[in-house]
Amino acid sequence: MDPLDRYREIIPDFEAFRAVQSLPLYSSARINTLKISRGALLERLEEASVPHQCFSWYPLGLKLDVESPGKLLENLLGFIHIQEELSMAPPLVLDARPGETVLDMCASPGSKTTQISQMMENRGLVVANEPSLARIAALRSNCERLGALNVAITRYDGRMFPRGSFDRVLVDAPCSSEGRERRGPGTLTRCNAARSRELHVLQAGLLKSALRLARPGGVVVYSTCTYAPEENELVVQEAIEGYESGQSGRPALRLERVGLQGLLECPGITEWEGRAFFADMDKTARYYPHINDTGGFFIARIVKE
Amino acid sequence: MPGSLRSRVRNVFLPVNASNVAAMWQERFGMDPEAFSGLQFFKKASSIWAISEADLPRLSYESLGMRIISCKDRPWKPTTAALQVFGRHAAKNLVHLEESQAMLFLQGAGQLLPEYCDSSICEPGYVVVFYRGDVLGCGLYSHGKLVSQIPKERRIESSSGDQL
Repeated sequence: MDPLDRYREIIPDFEAFRAVQSLPLYSSARINTLKISRGALLERLEEASVPHQCFSWYPLGLKLDVESPGKLLENLLGFIHIQEELSMAPPLVLDARPGETVLDMCASPGSKTTQISQMMENRGLVVANEPSLARIAALRSNCERLGALNVAITRYDGRMFPRGSFDRVLVDAPCSSEGRERRGPGTLTRCNAARSRELHVLQAGLLKSALRLARPGGVVVYSTCTYAPEENELVVQEAIEGYESGQSGRPALRLERVGLQGLLECPGITEWEGRAFFADMDKTARYYPHINDTGGFFIARIVKE
Repeated sequence: MPGSLRSRVRNVFLPVNASNVAAMWQERFGMDPEAFSGLQFFKKASSIWAISEADLPRLSYESLGMRIISCKDRPWKPTTAALQVFGRHAAKNLVHLEESQAMLFLQGAGQLLPEYCDSSICEPGYVVVFYRGDVLGCGLYSHGKLVSQIPKERRIESSSGDQL
């Protein structure tokens, strides 16, 4: 059975969505302003005749038409980082500022960590958490190659992260990755509702922990690269409900609208399989591959009052 | 539990005086101590780490910022990552490569560079290696030979042609 078929009712222009899955995704990269300016990097690519095209919605994002972009000298020197187009969206929604204290709860391999670091101009602190020792090597290597000097790495289970009062927390959660089918054909064969329900338990635990760790007035961004409502709206719903039913006197939570100029989003769904969600759930964003010619992503932004 | 005790010991970062670290780079590479302003330094095992000045929450850390120095052997060795960030401030012990030499260097190979033998140009030891104004990384120079210190995971495969 087609694992995407159960989304027929919630994804607009479903046939086009289904058809685009078999089209491979182009390579893309982010310009690392910790090491080079956008102008200087573009000049280098011109000079070296590297075919490229800037994203319409993010000036630091590039489509690269080369076979092995990872082998470009610019990559080895940390001037660019190979990163999927939509993976650059959650840090922009998080919108960290220089000098802040930020937690990236599921950090490896560090694409979003280093993007946050560059948005903070290497000032303040990014705590990059990664529970798996094996995945910490890649995280460290990317941070060092890209010249990120404000990143400290920890290795906790995010659900039990011990303490903190962070200005911003990013939970880019482990997920079934349905939105990555165009990058890694076959991803979908491992996807089904049962697996999404299993992942939901972990994801809701991570998001509840993030809501606890944000300071009053702080921002929590939850993202996945999957379509399953069990891993998206249902996680946000459950984490907010769980938080609000906790100790009395806790600051209230509010969903804020997610939108990035130049990138078309669809609103988060407000019901699934007979269960209704907060009306505000339509402020979360679903990004579909047939609409922007990208992969797929879900992003929610929660503010702690 | 012995396991958790070990991991706690492994993750002890001790603060290091910033002026001592800056003095090391000034002595070897003629760097202005200003190059390191806004950073704090820590030592763990035989490495020195640099991280932006900020309050660090009380957590067990795997790493703090960037590993910039290895003190495992003498003389101390700068990391390639650190030279790519701070190397442009260096005023001495610099090596500038041509394209084919840079290619060899990025492949991790050694090569003869007799023109740097005069110790007034380059003292034996670790050097900052440049190509067309960019710092490629750390090299070890002695007796007319430059040996690449580029970490294995950041080398270019030798099959990838001779053009950069």
